Amino acid sequence: MARPEAGKTAVLDAPGNASSTKKATTMANTSVIRLEQVGKVFEQKKQRFQALKQIDLTVESSEFVVIAGPSGSGKTTLLNLIGLLDQPSSGKLFFNGRDLSQCSSTELAQLRRDQIGFVFQAYNLMPVLTALENTEMVMEFRGMAADKRRAAARKTLTALGLGELMDRYPDQLSGGQQQRVAVARAVAGEPMLVIADEPTANLDSRTAESLMDLMSQLNREHGITFIFSSHDPRVISRAKRVISLCDGSIVSPVSQAVEFSHAV
Amino acid sequence: MKLERKLAMRNLLRNRQRSLLTSIMIVATVSLMILFQGLSDGGHRAMVDIGIKMGLGHVLVYQQGYNDDPSLEHLLVDAAATGQQLQQSVPELTHMVRRLHLNGLIQAGANGVPITLAGVDPGLEVQVSRIADRKSMTAGQTLAELPRERSGNGLPGIVIGEQLARNLEVGLGDRVTVSVKPKGSSDLSREAFLVTGIFKTGMQELDAFWAELDIADAQRLARLGQEVSVLALYLDDVEKVGPVAARLSSQLPAGKYEVLRWDQVAPELHSAVMLDAAGMYLLMVIVFVVVAAAILNTILISVMKRTREFGVMLALGASPALVVRVVFWEALFLALFCIALGGALGYAGHYHFATEGLNFREVFGTTLEAGGVLLPDRFFSFIYPGKLAFSLLFVLLLTLLVTIYPAIRASRLAPVEATRHG
Repeated sequence: MARPEAGKTAVLDAPGNASSTKKATTMANTSVIRLEQVGKVFEQKKQRFQALKQIDLTVESSEFVVIAGPSGSGKTTLLNLIGLLDQPSSGKLFFNGRDLSQCSSTELAQLRRDQIGFVFQAYNLMPVLTALENTEMVMEFRGMAADKRRAAARKTLTALGLGELMDRYPDQLSGGQQQRVAVARAVAGEPMLVIADEPTANLDSRTAESLMDLMSQLNREHGITFIFSSHDPRVISRAKRVISLCDGSIVSPVSQAVEFSHAV
Repeated sequence: MKLERKLAMRNLLRNRQRSLLTSIMIVATVSLMILFQGLSDGGHRAMVDIGIKMGLGHVLVYQQGYNDDPSLEHLLVDAAATGQQLQQSVPELTHMVRRLHLNGLIQAGANGVPITLAGVDPGLEVQVSRIADRKSMTAGQTLAELPRERSGNGLPGIVIGEQLARNLEVGLGDRVTVSVKPKGSSDLSREAFLVTGIFKTGMQELDAFWAELDIADAQRLARLGQEVSVLALYLDDVEKVGPVAARLSSQLPAGKYEVLRWDQVAPELHSAVMLDAAGMYLLMVIVFVVVAAAILNTILISVMKRTREFGVMLALGASPALVVRVVFWEALFLALFCIALGGALGYAGHYHFATEGLNFREVFGTTLEAGGVLLPDRFFSFIYPGKLAFSLLFVLLLTLLVTIYPAIRASRLAPVEATRHG
């Protein structure tokens, strides 16, 4: 997969939106996500399972964070909470300084739509929409004008090296290309935060490497906060900060990627 | 195109097989509904039309009290003036005939049968009555076809039913004697007639107990002047019967006349039509319930198979209302397409039977009787536009109604579980 040229990523400054660089500057040192003593319990057939235990975590704006840990450690559960897809059983969750404990599901949906981009392990593109339409979709949820959202989606796809493929449907794209479209969908509307749950799990190592380059570049050049999960050491090594989970608890709250990679 | 419409349309096209199967079902239902409705309503119109032509009329004007006591004491005395008044005040009128009904005895040799004698205006009656119609004649001539000058023996002509002729053991040219009780006298009035025509309607009570003669002969036999039993009005459209009857009831002097609709004079025929229509509606309801269940099943499966897609939409911030709209647009597109196609096919079928007719005798091997009326061998499909529009709208609403559950179910998916779905 071709790596996008650095200059092209500037197109993420979509028409009608504030400059990404300016946004990155103003958002600096502001907590995007803060978890205070957050726990999550699942109950099934009278069985209780504590997936997360008293998690304290703060993610600042423009961070590039990986949540690492073995399967069953609680990575996805934590990402679901951070992505406002689920609510904690205990503790408090703050998004951009706002306590979400009293938020309705509609308010949470609006926050996800306006402030968070998602990249799923299985891409999860809409099969009946083209790459361009998939990229536009979240902006259409927001009610953005058609010409503006189309222009933003085109620029984003071009920047991510998919300029020639934007009229193709997902089943006409490779796995790597689909995941790039998913990234385009996540970032085109310039969200405050992008959540990616094992985004490279279904990709070969070269494509995974390329995708990490892309996300890293978007974080570096546009100040988009990325939080992603992985258990792949090569992916983890690309993060600026690694949060290591084990049995639902953070075992290494703050660690530099290099240190983690050495440890691995 | 807006996102929800785009998603809905493309999902229908993506799942061609499923869409096609559902479409076939709805198209078949809609087209058959139109076809059956047309044939049913056409059949009912034929029943009513025949009933009306069997000595009835759309609207009937009697002297007050005649229907309770149909004797010579309750005849319309000023029929000519009343008829003239009606001609002017009823623009919907196409024909008006006067009839004199008498109860009498017809005899030939040793055979005698009590019958109803209908005195009619032959020239007018042939235009509105099936009894007086040339097609009903199995032998001889209609009253209208008889020469004005009487034959050599000077006897007036009479037309009798085929079964009556058999029972009397008479044929064309035979002499019969008719006896009636005249007005204001206990003695019988008796007169000889010549059998000039024999008819067959298929209705037992007409073919075995009915005879028609010129109204002047009937009035003379009953020793009457210009009195008649009834003025029968025929309108340009059976649907206007109600309003015209109501209007006449208020226009004609109260207490002197009685204005009745055909369905009041022949309630058994009206009941037969209503019963048949009710059976048709019941059948349609059963068909609709089956179709509704099938549509519900199809849309529900469609929604369940796309759990992950809807979950992703919700995870990305789509409102539940948008998900509901996607499912509804899908059902609406499907329903509109099927109603258009089914409507076109059904109308084509209706058009065929409206122009060519349905030959009942060919299809079922027998002629049907309903409400004492023998249906014609061939009758024609008829569609009431309002009823058709209502039925099509009903199919559309039914489709949307059964979509409510799958749509709400899709909108209430939990994004976390839904995005993990197979």
